[in-house]
Amino acid sequence: MTAFVVIVLAGMGSYVFRVSMLVLAERARLPEPLERASGFVAPAAFAALAATGVAAASLGADVATAVPPLGAVAAAVAAVRLTRRSYAAPLVGMPVLWLLTALVGD
Amino acid sequence: MHTTDVIADVVATPRGYADELAGGARAMLPWLAGVVPFGLVIGVAAAQANISTFAGWLTGPLIYGGSAQIATIEMLSAGASPAVVVLTALVINLRLVLYSGAMAAYWRGTPRWWRALAAYLLIDPSFVVGSDRYERGGDHTRGHVHYLGGAVLLWVAWLLAITAGATLGARIPAALHLEFVVPLYLIGEVSRRLSDVATRRAALTAAVVAVVAFALPLHLGVLLAIVAGLAAGLTAQGVRS
Repeated sequence: MTAFVVIVLAGMGSYVFRVSMLVLAERARLPEPLERASGFVAPAAFAALAATGVAAASLGADVATAVPPLGAVAAAVAAVRLTRRSYAAPLVGMPVLWLLTALVGD
Repeated sequence: MHTTDVIADVVATPRGYADELAGGARAMLPWLAGVVPFGLVIGVAAAQANISTFAGWLTGPLIYGGSAQIATIEMLSAGASPAVVVLTALVINLRLVLYSGAMAAYWRGTPRWWRALAAYLLIDPSFVVGSDRYERGGDHTRGHVHYLGGAVLLWVAWLLAITAGATLGARIPAALHLEFVVPLYLIGEVSRRLSDVATRRAALTAAVVAVVAFALPLHLGVLLAIVAGLAAGLTAQGVRS
């Protein structure tokens, strides 16, 4: 039940953001710092979520459990740098994760 | 322009508007290559999360923003406080205020039903496809139809991708660790965006703060990390300019 309420509230808030300036546009202008910050929202949010996911899989675990996710991240970063394609990250990272899990993991 | 005027205009030149509608859909096609895999990932995450798959799927039509959806699903699954989850999703979607502000100039004077619908469909790809067409000038009504062609295609593709991911995800064995597809996908998306110093500073700061603050209660770490990333990006940008 809580999950549904949270999702509905987040959805309603997002919709308010979408219509906000349509309603206010004729009377107000967005603060300049907020306008500049918008370009950093996606990279900051993605980096925070990715780091949290990696930390959840590797922090506090023994070495054998931590090696596969960290190895997969290293392989994913290398693949994106080499190919310049974002989808290369899961395409390369997941097989590396499976391989390292089979070799040293749980 | 009143509703009747819009309808009369569309009826008067149906061929031209059909072309605009198709043009908007065509302009959206390149975006789908990146968006559909992300939708599949969100669907898989919804199926594997500690919340009902339907609740996870519902983030699609209700929140309609990939990163905010992922954050909502992941944080709810991890047992984060409801207030923190809502706040995080809203911080991530704050950019929609900017898009709304940019589109307001083009949608001023349109019927209320149009603004309600167009605003609902407003997200990164539809904003780019729509504003690109409006900036080319000409009749705004044609721009609206172009926007609608791209935005509706995106919405349909997005929900189909999430549905497919959620359906597949529920049948996939846990030993495959598919929950790790999300961080890897996000790493790929971040790497793609690291074009300038300020963005690199924002992403790196957010990642470091997220790890350092990982153990914070209520999963406040993600929210803190995003805010720290924004501050770092703005500071770096200020220093350079």
